[in-house]
Amino acid sequence: MSKPTDLVQGTLDLLILKILALEPMHGWAIAQRIRQMSNEVLQVGQSALYPALHKLEQQGLIEAEWKVSENNRRAKYYSLTSTGRRAMAKEADQWERLSAAISLIVRTI
Amino acid sequence: MGAALGRHLADRADHIGDCEMSDKLKLLRLRLRSLFKPKQVEQELDEELQYHLQCQIDEGLAAGLSQEEARYAALRALGAITQNKEECRTMRRVTWIEDLGKDLRYGARTLRKNPAFTLVALLALALGIGANTAMFSVVYGMLFRPLPFADADRVAVVCLNYAQRDYIFGTMCIRDYLVWKQNNHAFEDPCLYRNQRMDIGGPEATPEQVVGSVVTANFFSTLGVRPLLGRTFVPGEDRPNTPSLVVLSETIWRRRFAAERTVLGRTIILNGASATVIGVMPEAIRFPRAETQLWTNLPLVPPTRYGPWFYRGLARLKSGVTLEQAQTETNNIGQLMAQQNPYYKRARMPVVTVRDALLGTTVKPAILVMTGAVGLVLLIAVVNVANLLLARATVREREVALRLSLGAGRGRVVRQLLTESVLLAGIGGMAGLALAWGAIKLIRVWNPGDLPLIDFVRLDWGALGFMAFASMLAGILFGLVPALESSRADLSLTIKEGGRTGGGSLARGRARNALVVAEIAISLTLLIGAGLLLRSFLNLQRVNGGFFAPPEQILTMRISPGDPKYDDEHTGLAFYAEVLRLARSVPGVEMAAVTNSLPPNRQGDADSFGLEGQTLGPGEMNPVVTVATVGPDFLQVLGIPLIKGRYFTDYDNEKAPPVTLVSDGFVRRFFPDGKALGKHVKYGDRWMEIVGVVGNVKYLSLSTDTDPAYYMPFAQNYFPPAFLTIRSSGDAGLLAARLRNEIQSIDAGVTLADIDTLEQALDGAVSQPRFNTMLLGLFAGIALVLAAVGIYGLMAYSVAQRKHEIGVRMALGAARADVVRMMVRQGLSLAALGIVLGLGGAFALTRLLKTMLFGIGVTDGLTFAAAPLGMLLVVLLATSLPALRATRISPAVALRSD
Repeated sequence: MSKPTDLVQGTLDLLILKILALEPMHGWAIAQRIRQMSNEVLQVGQSALYPALHKLEQQGLIEAEWKVSENNRRAKYYSLTSTGRRAMAKEADQWERLSAAISLIVRTI
Repeated sequence: MGAALGRHLADRADHIGDCEMSDKLKLLRLRLRSLFKPKQVEQELDEELQYHLQCQIDEGLAAGLSQEEARYAALRALGAITQNKEECRTMRRVTWIEDLGKDLRYGARTLRKNPAFTLVALLALALGIGANTAMFSVVYGMLFRPLPFADADRVAVVCLNYAQRDYIFGTMCIRDYLVWKQNNHAFEDPCLYRNQRMDIGGPEATPEQVVGSVVTANFFSTLGVRPLLGRTFVPGEDRPNTPSLVVLSETIWRRRFAAERTVLGRTIILNGASATVIGVMPEAIRFPRAETQLWTNLPLVPPTRYGPWFYRGLARLKSGVTLEQAQTETNNIGQLMAQQNPYYKRARMPVVTVRDALLGTTVKPAILVMTGAVGLVLLIAVVNVANLLLARATVREREVALRLSLGAGRGRVVRQLLTESVLLAGIGGMAGLALAWGAIKLIRVWNPGDLPLIDFVRLDWGALGFMAFASMLAGILFGLVPALESSRADLSLTIKEGGRTGGGSLARGRARNALVVAEIAISLTLLIGAGLLLRSFLNLQRVNGGFFAPPEQILTMRISPGDPKYDDEHTGLAFYAEVLRLARSVPGVEMAAVTNSLPPNRQGDADSFGLEGQTLGPGEMNPVVTVATVGPDFLQVLGIPLIKGRYFTDYDNEKAPPVTLVSDGFVRRFFPDGKALGKHVKYGDRWMEIVGVVGNVKYLSLSTDTDPAYYMPFAQNYFPPAFLTIRSSGDAGLLAARLRNEIQSIDAGVTLADIDTLEQALDGAVSQPRFNTMLLGLFAGIALVLAAVGIYGLMAYSVAQRKHEIGVRMALGAARADVVRMMVRQGLSLAALGIVLGLGGAFALTRLLKTMLFGIGVTDGLTFAAAPLGMLLVVLLATSLPALRATRISPAVALRSD
């Protein structure tokens, strides 16, 4: 299993925001979704996931609500706030630029 | 790059402000919940992680593991749960409160580590905030604290003011009152009152003199107050021939009547006649004067002539009528009075609120000036501390740079520095509160020249709130500029400078210079204000009251015979003759005399008069002037010079032809040819021959123009009570006790009051100006010291900074004098700018002092020249000390110093 350190801090935030942009989700589902969408490359342990979620909530980028889950249990569902949506667009943009720049260098040399 | 992104996100951590409006409220709720409902939040965290665990187990089961195995695998995958929870908690923390605690602790540590800085700053702040808190209490207590009267804003004192005479607000006579009442529409039933000294006697205690008030029956209902005991006057009790009734103050009821309820209905002796006590007023009711001890009913005897003018009106506005409308109406009534009596030239009837009547005319301007002055003192304290902080900012440059480079946001650094300065101001404020408490105590005890409403001045929650607000504001004010300055630190530059202490940016240097200029300007303004008051006070003290006996050798006391039998001229004159005989028998007494008037401010009577050979038009009359009734020797006792003719003698008695003395001013005004001797003056319906002309004496006050006066012999115009005046060979105060015993032995009903030497009376007459002068002088002194500290600090700092440069200069052969000159020039150029600005400020502000000045203008040349010179001297001193120290720098050491 890939260690959370593989996911550099800050990048996880972006991934969470991106995933929540689709629909409200609880912690477990977010972890599963990241794993699936990255073709099993990225695995987020809960030791990294939950602090990140709580931090984003404190920053007002996401909000939480208790709902009944698909398996009939109470679960905490996170969703994106409008501030979060704005932040996500900005971070995604920045990420695109950064990674493009890095791949440019990596490929050229 | 991840780190960069991460910090970008982390930076926004505390900034609710970055959120969109709709999210702000949610976020606020979330944070409040973390703060105030930690248990619930904790429970939810458990539940959330439990859910995660359950999902993990479900996954294991789905993969075909047994329940036991699935649970074990899930727990292993989850890792250390406790540690994980802690991380979540950290993320949830409300960081700014945490930060505040951290900043406060850090700030306190920094302040402790710099005791010299902290002490100077705290002292400046404590003085500034303390003075302002005390002043706030005074202003609130005197000008705003609700008076104990129902709807006090609707009750007004109505006076009469006309061209010839200018008392405070003016006074009227019963005839004027009746005209006013007849034409009044603005007020409910107007009433009339007069303050009067009264003798109170009876079996309870020895007779004494108190300040009382004679009032019409509706007085208390107009004020809207209820008695503590018994009743007040009812309508009709001000008709002629109503028996005398008395309402006592709580103070005298407790002191003299031992707070007995049986006092109601009791007969006491008031001015020698019996009067019945009907009620007691609560202590809070102090009107018309703060020292009023009792009220008695005024019989409205229909007047036969104008005068005497001792009365004022009191009335409550009808609902819907404003004070301005009432003023318009009374002005019209004033015009009507002037038409009926041409003597009332330009008559006005000023309508003033009860509060203004209690305050008088001199207190408000003084309060305004002092409030402005303490404001300036606080400003200068703030500037001073800001300056100290700026100096320290340079020292702390590297600390701040380090924080910035370690990733602290600029806002975060500014906040930390501001927390420190607000903490400083807070401690200063607490110390200031203690100072204010002491100052108010002092003012109340001291009570210069009976300050009105002083009982209303106290340190309360309002003052506490004001102190907190002032401290906060001061902290932010003096902290902001240095904090912003520091946080702008140029990282690369500071770090490159290595160990060298502070290059000190150009902007910062300019800010420091500007602050010092401001300090000099403000303190010069205060200095000039204080200088003007001082000059005015000295002028007042130099005023000659018109008498030339040494004031410490004159003792005066008001003697009232008490029993009404002494109202009879014959018995009364015999009583005072006995008083004089006994007084003269006391060893040390050289001369003794009786009088009803005394300088500098105890005019006994004032009236109009008639002149021989003068024809007056109908309704016309001569001005009201001072009328003094004096016994033989009075003018000699006080050393009032005789200009022409003779003094009164023992032969000018009730059987002799009526005679009078007139003052020099009287002659100049009413006998332009200067020939007054032998002419006749009419008082009432009696013609008196002028037998002498004497020097001018001030009977009204030291600061007003001398009133013309005429004198009558005591024996020809007997009217008790009167003052006994003695001249002793030494200190007259020592004779007081002996004289009191002798005189009280004449009759049990005798009361003695106001036993003072003339020196004490003169002292009392200038107590308020002296108080103002001392207070403003104190403020100016504090300002000057703060400014001196400020400029000294700047120069010392500048020398420290330029040590290297000075070393180079001296190594290259500059003489010590050159170095000193260079440093002093820097200080003086700042001083020059500050002085110019301060002169401008003083020019604009000293006009506020106008009503408080005597004998000089608001732009008194001497003050405006001397104060800047003094300022310059202080600056020179504060500058040259560090400059001289600079020259002791050894070039070799200086060059190596960095």
